[in-house]
Amino acid sequence: MGSGRMNGGDDLSELKRVDMNVRELLTEMKDTSEIIVDLAYASLMYNSVSMADKVREMEGVMDDLKFAIRYKVLMASRTKEDARQLSGLLEVATAADRISDAASEIVDLLKMPTEQRPFISEMLSESGEKIRILRVKPESSMVGFTIGKLAVEACTGCKIIAIKNRHGWTYDPDDDMKIRAGDDLVVRGTDDGADRLVQFAEGRAQWEFPEPDDEAGVAEDEDDEEDIEEELREDERGP
Amino acid sequence: MNHLEAMLLEMKDTSEIMVDLAYSSLLYNSKEIAEEVVALAENLGDLAARIQGEAISLGQSNPAEVARVVVITRLQASIMDIAGAAGAIAGVVIRGLAENPVLAMSIRDSDTTICLAKVAENSVLVDRTFGDVSLSTNCGMFVIAIRRDKEYIFGPGANTRMEVGDILIARGPEEGEGYFKDLADGTEKKI
Repeated sequence: MGSGRMNGGDDLSELKRVDMNVRELLTEMKDTSEIIVDLAYASLMYNSVSMADKVREMEGVMDDLKFAIRYKVLMASRTKEDARQLSGLLEVATAADRISDAASEIVDLLKMPTEQRPFISEMLSESGEKIRILRVKPESSMVGFTIGKLAVEACTGCKIIAIKNRHGWTYDPDDDMKIRAGDDLVVRGTDDGADRLVQFAEGRAQWEFPEPDDEAGVAEDEDDEEDIEEELREDERGP
Repeated sequence: MNHLEAMLLEMKDTSEIMVDLAYSSLLYNSKEIAEEVVALAENLGDLAARIQGEAISLGQSNPAEVARVVVITRLQASIMDIAGAAGAIAGVVIRGLAENPVLAMSIRDSDTTICLAKVAENSVLVDRTFGDVSLSTNCGMFVIAIRRDKEYIFGPGANTRMEVGDILIARGPEEGEGYFKDLADGTEKKI
């Protein structure tokens, strides 16, 4: 699929994100569909109107992505087979958008008075993978390092979905964001993982930096995965 | 937490497993995984009907609880939307429309990736339960399904034991993949 360079006569002024290709658009839609649901539940748990606003903003971006991907896909369709395959792709994009619409409906519950929904926080705190908030203490060995360097999710299973520091909230923070003393982290993960992260954040345990994967090992793993994937397929096709 | 809330929570957790499985079915173009999403959608439909019935009785018997009933009903509708979206993704696979390589590539490129690993004979995971090894805590990889003897085990619990030859389907950050695969193939012994 081409990157769809525009001709001089095209008026795409109302269409955002058309500079991205279909693969990039779909990746962003999938990522957004996952983080937006976590953020929506977190906003209910912590009664956070600003988190709810972020969910609505992301939902708006999702609409832009949806229109951009439709445009790209329709432009790319040449044959009946193209149309068949691309219809599946459009359905996936639409589904990701539906998830973000649902997230936006979830945060609309914040418009109801708090006393009418006191059970929600309690209920969500019993969830399989929980959302928790924790504070980074000055003595924490995480302080001064970026999320990417720490590989927080790989080391604890907790995904940081939002950070509050002196500049305010950052949602779905990038890998290059630094952890500072006094930051509040909203995370999603198992109980175990969150307990471990609390130990690190409070300086009661020393962060163990992951050993960088050696490139030979990574390439080997990728070859292995292809074999396993083939096995999975063979198996499904059955005798 | 009361019964109604426990059911709603089960719906929420199920809808999340459905989304994970739906994206996995797309990545591996697997009709079997996609069909599990459809089966879960049916369970969820039954659960939704029960929640609705109980919520109505609650509201009728105790008017003070009407606000709670409204919240539960709205939350349930949103959860069903999410589940419905997962079902739609599974439908793409079931209809044989998931062959476009861009679909698999965009899932691989994602921040939260999905990967496969096979449990080798000399792996430290053999005969251990998920509760024992806390894979999620140790490498960030959350196992969403296991392929064993031509069958799937979906959403394995803390008491599920891993066996030689199991194919683990896991979701997590890219940085967690290497260690996870090394644990499974026996190159890494330390958990």
